[in-house]
Amino acid sequence: MAALQLLVNGLALGAAYGLVALGFVLVLNATGAVNFAHGDWVMAGGFVAIALTGALTSILPVEFAGGGAWVGLLLLPTTLVVMAGLGLIFCRVAYTPLKNQPPVTIFVSTIAVGLILSNGINAQFGGAPRSTPPLFGAGQFSLGDLVISHQSLSILGTAIILIGGLGWLMERTQTGRRMRAAAQDPEMARAMGIRVDRLIAVSFALALALAGAAGLLLANQFFITPSSGGALMLKAYLAVTIGGWGSLRGAVAGAMLIAFFEIGVASLTSQPVAEGLLYLVLFAILFARPQGVFGEAIGHRA
Amino acid sequence: MFTLNFRILAVAITGFFLGSGSAQAETVSIPVLVPVTGFLSLEGTSQRNGALLALEEAADNLPADLDVQFEVFDTATSPEIAVNAFLRAAEAPNVVAVVAPIFGTQMLALLPLAREDGVPLITISGTASITEQDNPYVFRFFPGDVVVKEAHARYALEVLGAERPALITQTTAYGQSGQAHLSTRFIDAGVAPVLDEAVDVSVNDMLPVLIKAQRAGADMLLLHLHSGPTAQLLRQAASLGLDIPIVAGSALHQPTTADLLTQDELAGSCAETGSSPISGGDTDIDTWTQRYRSRFAIEPDAFALGQYDGVRMVLAALNEGARSAADVRQYLSRETFDGLAMAYKSDGTGNMAHDAVIVCYGSDSRVPRIERRYENVTGVR
Repeated sequence: MAALQLLVNGLALGAAYGLVALGFVLVLNATGAVNFAHGDWVMAGGFVAIALTGALTSILPVEFAGGGAWVGLLLLPTTLVVMAGLGLIFCRVAYTPLKNQPPVTIFVSTIAVGLILSNGINAQFGGAPRSTPPLFGAGQFSLGDLVISHQSLSILGTAIILIGGLGWLMERTQTGRRMRAAAQDPEMARAMGIRVDRLIAVSFALALALAGAAGLLLANQFFITPSSGGALMLKAYLAVTIGGWGSLRGAVAGAMLIAFFEIGVASLTSQPVAEGLLYLVLFAILFARPQGVFGEAIGHRA
Repeated sequence: MFTLNFRILAVAITGFFLGSGSAQAETVSIPVLVPVTGFLSLEGTSQRNGALLALEEAADNLPADLDVQFEVFDTATSPEIAVNAFLRAAEAPNVVAVVAPIFGTQMLALLPLAREDGVPLITISGTASITEQDNPYVFRFFPGDVVVKEAHARYALEVLGAERPALITQTTAYGQSGQAHLSTRFIDAGVAPVLDEAVDVSVNDMLPVLIKAQRAGADMLLLHLHSGPTAQLLRQAASLGLDIPIVAGSALHQPTTADLLTQDELAGSCAETGSSPISGGDTDIDTWTQRYRSRFAIEPDAFALGQYDGVRMVLAALNEGARSAADVRQYLSRETFDGLAMAYKSDGTGNMAHDAVIVCYGSDSRVPRIERRYENVTGVR
């Protein structure tokens, strides 16, 4: 039964990491540069959700706000919208003025944004770990010895919907096809009349919306502090390196692998050993398949 | 005639200003170097608040001819930033002491500078090695692991009767120091931990280590983790239905850690710490707690109180006539000071705090009660 418990926790953790990694890939594909602020945006998503919780609780009638479940349910869409808006601002401030500069300029710009986010949130909220409300109310249920929290199921369900929705958008819609075209060859896409800059802004909005969802879900289950961004960024980077630069399904697969090592392998060895083994696997993958498991031919990346 | 009168006037004016200069307050500086951003900002903010409260209250209790200046410098997360902050702070007039960061790595970088400038560092950093460098300029006002881990072990062994403890620590320097002290103490007592495992601060899910403790047949969990991981572990232990005692490190005494947990998750757990100002029971500490709340609008913890006491001892030195860093250092190294949390006296290496308490959470309150006091653990006083 312990194995089943580990599996449930591993899937929930991997799903949350998957949302983190997907947002990272979207900006990577759109701009060709690494967004080093992505972990901090996930953290910021958690704090946006915390701020929105206060606002929603004061707006909603007591009979709704008091129960908690309504606040959690409304929190997800409002966090997605607010973070998407912040994504547009992020694009306008940190990317657009530098878009003709080398990718290294853009990633230095994102590092600066990450530092501003981390220190700004620390100044506003303080350094203490914080938690967001659960999506569908607190609590858990048991199946024999197996204990499943409502939040674990919420993470899994939300991740499946958001990842599926993103896949549908990218694969089945004209906007998605244009986004992929713009990512593959922006000059040719422009020549074909595609408004590349607008699609890049959409990518930023989507990426930060996913970051917001991940921050909201992770902060409830695992807490969040203003300095959490660095570790989340590292996980996203690892997931994408394992799965393949630019590959959406690769990012999700990489995230699941990280969660498998953090939970499954750690339960058989120890956490530091599991982390070491994860990096060994990463080296093996890079040695055998430098473009990552689902990656295509290696391009030039910052 | 005009020239002579002008000269007389000039001499008179100069004399007036020289005279008034000698009557001006003497200025001393106590810069505050603390990490208010980065991963230790929670503890650093407590440290800053404790120091500021003591310094802001100083004006009422110091001689009228003494002016104490202070400025806060953020040391963030790296030794270089702490060193730069120290160099900038050293430019202040007559620096008699420096409130130095809780972050042990930064303290190790500052020790040579303190020796070079001859300025005492007043800190609450728990890293054991900072007082093991044979540096006479460091003074620690929070009990080190030698004290708090002894209390931790004694409570687990003597009161709770641990026979098969599982030891779970952090991979950081803080965690390694606690692990070394606890592990040695338990092995010496003939009660070797059935599980001794460290986890990284970035680990989100504590289920693997909890399942291993369960498999090992642990009858108690001994934690030495930072705030977030402590809360995470308690929450998941409750979720798993792991019904064994948990004795945690000082992170669990912090009100901000307790805020992350429900009453059911907290109930029955205990923690070691230097003091617990919110627990009440002492009129002076209760009054101080009220002042702290009204000044900062948050709950105080042992770090804030320890740093408050440390700065107050420096101010006591000034009250006794100390006017230079050397005077203050001498006072700190020789005198005993009755602080709010405890009585402080140097053990010769700069360890000033020798008491610890064990606090426990009940099922009906989020304020921990002081369960046991371990006084003068090192036998220095």
